[in-house]
Amino acid sequence: MNTIYALFPVLIIVAASLLVMILEVFLKREDRSYLAYISLLFLIAAAAGCVKFWDKGYSYFDGNLSLSNLSLFFCFILIIATFLVILISMKYLTLQNANYGEYYVLLLFALSGMIIMVSSSDLIVIFLGLEVLSLSSYALAGLRREDEKSNEAAVKYFLLGSFASAFLVFGIAFLYGATQATAIPSIVEGLQSGSSFGTLGLVGLGLVVIGFGFKVAVVPFHMWTPDVYQGAPTPITAFFSVGPKAVGFAVLLRIFIPYFKDALESQLMFGLLWIIAAITMIAGNLIALRQTNVKRILAYSSIAHAGYLMVAILAQDTQSLVFYLTAYLFMNIGAFAAVIALGKKDHEYLELEDYKGIGFRYPWIGATFAVFLISLAGFPPTGGFLAKFYVFSAAVRQGLVSLVIIGVLASLVSVFYYLRIIIYMYMKEPSYDVEINIDNPSLFLALFLCLYGVLQLGIFPGNILVLISQAVAALPF
Amino acid sequence: MIPLNYFLVLSIILFALGAIAFFVKRDLITQFMAIEIMFNAANLAFLAFAKSAGSLDGQIIVFFVITVAAAEAAVGLAIILLIFRQKKTIKSEDIKLMKG
Repeated sequence: MNTIYALFPVLIIVAASLLVMILEVFLKREDRSYLAYISLLFLIAAAAGCVKFWDKGYSYFDGNLSLSNLSLFFCFILIIATFLVILISMKYLTLQNANYGEYYVLLLFALSGMIIMVSSSDLIVIFLGLEVLSLSSYALAGLRREDEKSNEAAVKYFLLGSFASAFLVFGIAFLYGATQATAIPSIVEGLQSGSSFGTLGLVGLGLVVIGFGFKVAVVPFHMWTPDVYQGAPTPITAFFSVGPKAVGFAVLLRIFIPYFKDALESQLMFGLLWIIAAITMIAGNLIALRQTNVKRILAYSSIAHAGYLMVAILAQDTQSLVFYLTAYLFMNIGAFAAVIALGKKDHEYLELEDYKGIGFRYPWIGATFAVFLISLAGFPPTGGFLAKFYVFSAAVRQGLVSLVIIGVLASLVSVFYYLRIIIYMYMKEPSYDVEINIDNPSLFLALFLCLYGVLQLGIFPGNILVLISQAVAALPF
Repeated sequence: MIPLNYFLVLSIILFALGAIAFFVKRDLITQFMAIEIMFNAANLAFLAFAKSAGSLDGQIIVFFVITVAAAEAAVGLAIILLIFRQKKTIKSEDIKLMKG
């Protein structure tokens, strides 16, 4: 149905960020936490909107912005991700001297960009949404202006991010030339009809894969990831590891799952993505083995997870992909929340050495962190296990047996570095005292919510699966 | 009329030059300019395709891309300025606190 209500989720997020931007001027530095509460309220309103529009199929701008169930589901999990990120950053910002009012503004702008990306099927609108997201992200990465690492992260993210955007635009130009269209369904149709512009279209598609490959951090295009993840403020790292990845895959699935339906035309691209998925899983997990900084370990782990998600694209199974993203959101933000919990004024504990004996000194933080790591490694009864299981079984059904073998072996390797953190926490004697600030209610709320999400998805995934299958059933393409 | 292929070849050359310069040059500002050239190569391709197909879409898209490039320049130059204030250098090989 063509109605202006379709704009509601984007508009309310943009309104929230504008309001927060104005209020920031009038609030004293120590009152800035009100900005967080206001942002949270608006996020709840936007989430409520997403729930209310379920099954309505609203669209606007001639269908260029359409809230199909799948878009709404993505909006919903992105809003949850931002909600959790705001919860984990409230105390962090004061402790680490990064309490700038722009923080929430930029975060909300980034969210609005992501919502635009998932609710449009026109590549140009998606590109604009991506830029709204990226520009806010560059600034967020460099938010701790006096910290050299933060600046370094910002400049690396900016240079490689806009380099990737250039590839994306060039790819869109080629696709436009080959098919005379910028809407994804018409592009896919044009490519499958095998016109005389076949090569042009393939080159365009390849460039688009490179562009999005940078954003979701799959292996030949991952080199920015560890540095940016390490240098950016930790809550922002949590945001980067979930948000851009989820939207990147939301776009890739819209392009490639219908495109792969025609197996003959898409053979080349299929092979390309196959190779990307395989080397991403292998390299991501292997390089993670020799990291000693927890943020870098989690960065390489997020690269490896992009590889598993790529397997879901190749298996052409939207349902398992969306489920994986949902589970990944909770376990990854949870893991970063636990890392943030181990911090005090002007200092964060990020080296593996710091984690010695944490499990006994701070049993609650240690135990929840262990659950998230177990989930990331893919053990039952957590969401991470079921997510991997669904992806790999969908891949086997599609006959991608060798890829699944690579994936399973790679995730065996990953068990080593996840468990190493747990071993440090529980089986090593601390060599020095780790003092942390535990007066942090919002962070513990976030930890609890993530723990609930991981266990709910691992033990009773039924409700979510029903929702996801409803979302996938109404696919517009 | 100049054939479409000429424009395409020019835009591919421009894009390749930009990409090569991005990797070869060791100066943040020059690297950023290389990216701008890549964006403009894409603009040229859009215009060529739009002209040859006689559709307006491509020409309008170029406006969006120009706007985005301008916005990126604003954020990017601010970040590079911050780096310069802190390290007194904009050579990319001097920016290597994190590795591995």
